[in-house]
Amino acid sequence: VTGDDGPVPHRYSVGDLVRVRDDRPGGNPRTPGYVRGRTGTVVALHGRIPNPLDHRGRYPPLCTVRFALEELTGRPSRDFVTADLHEDWLEPARSAS
Amino acid sequence: VSTAAGPGPHAVNPEPRLRAVAADLEYFRAKRLEPRVLHLVRRGVISLNDLIHAGRKTAADRTGHAAPATVEQRLRVLEDRLDAFVAGIAAVTVATRSGDVVVEDIRRERGDYDPFLKIAKRTYSGSVGERMSQLERGLADSEELLDAFTRALLDTGEITASQLGQRRRELRDQGHRNGARLVARAWVDPGFKRRLLETGREAARELDIPPGRLGKLGVAENTDDEHNIVVCTLCSCYPHDLLGDPPWWYRTDEYKHRIIEDPRAMLAEMFGLEVPPARSITVRDSTSDVRWMVLPRRPEGSEAMTEDQLADLVTPESLVGAAEPRTPQDPA
Repeated sequence: VTGDDGPVPHRYSVGDLVRVRDDRPGGNPRTPGYVRGRTGTVVALHGRIPNPLDHRGRYPPLCTVRFALEELTGRPSRDFVTADLHEDWLEPARSAS
Repeated sequence: VSTAAGPGPHAVNPEPRLRAVAADLEYFRAKRLEPRVLHLVRRGVISLNDLIHAGRKTAADRTGHAAPATVEQRLRVLEDRLDAFVAGIAAVTVATRSGDVVVEDIRRERGDYDPFLKIAKRTYSGSVGERMSQLERGLADSEELLDAFTRALLDTGEITASQLGQRRRELRDQGHRNGARLVARAWVDPGFKRRLLETGREAARELDIPPGRLGKLGVAENTDDEHNIVVCTLCSCYPHDLLGDPPWWYRTDEYKHRIIEDPRAMLAEMFGLEVPPARSITVRDSTSDVRWMVLPRRPEGSEAMTEDQLADLVTPESLVGAAEPRTPQDPA
């Protein structure tokens, strides 16, 4: 496989508030519908993940983003959902409300 | 075409994967399947005519493989079929009614010690498209032989359907045993636990477990404050190359949907797992890039148990967070 999966800088850091974009940048569909347009917190950085069995080419760096369940469902809850999202789906966000 | 974001249509070099498929197919055909068939034929356990009769029946059941469009898709289908082929050979590699086959006999049979007995390997040449077509045909031929061989063993009563089912289950659970061993080691060795949480797959090598190649392994640690549960809402991603198959319900739409809607109610109703209000729940939505497993809490009262005994407490359900591990009072 191509050996060009070197380290790439992340645009975001752990603790950043991010909003998931609503459109489909770059055609990578691997972002669940229920987090689109929602705001969460970056909790882990994974860099660029080589995944030749799944990817057509090189994908942007990946972050684990944690969402309050309340933000996703609108119902009171103290539980969370995390999703692993490529940075091209994320934009900086201010405080959630 | 977007330039700022996304990978774009970036062709991956198919050569290494194509070579790997050809090498694996020929290895398993010429070293595992066909020597075993010959071994049983030579000893009269089954006959070539048994194979022909069985082949007539299995041919009627065969469904054709629709040829996918792109090189990438064709490669994937080839790889998936090859995995199933290899698993199918392992499933029929069992003792027959007429006796067990000693590995050493198979080594002799396949010419490890005498080139005269070696089964010729097929060669694949030409363009990527031509080799892919040759591999598709070659694999279909080998699948047909495996089907006929399996059917002949069943029809002659050399193996039973329940034996075959049992063997398939065992092979599937071997993967889950890998996960159980990782968890047990993490319970007894804090340094290993740290490496498992930080490096994922790489840590598996310490237990002589092949780390696999399907993206990154995410390990979510259950604590007294947090319970983790794994799902893949987009498809059914799971580190199955490392941990075997997930529980059957993992693939159901009901699970995928409800676990996001209301994980607390879902855990209680579907799995009888009541998570105390003070303990938060985190649902880990997997993708093919990061495939999650849960590191459960070590059960109370397990202090005196050995690592092997601890591994017996870890169930496939506890590896996805749908259950706590078994307790020492209620082992397997």
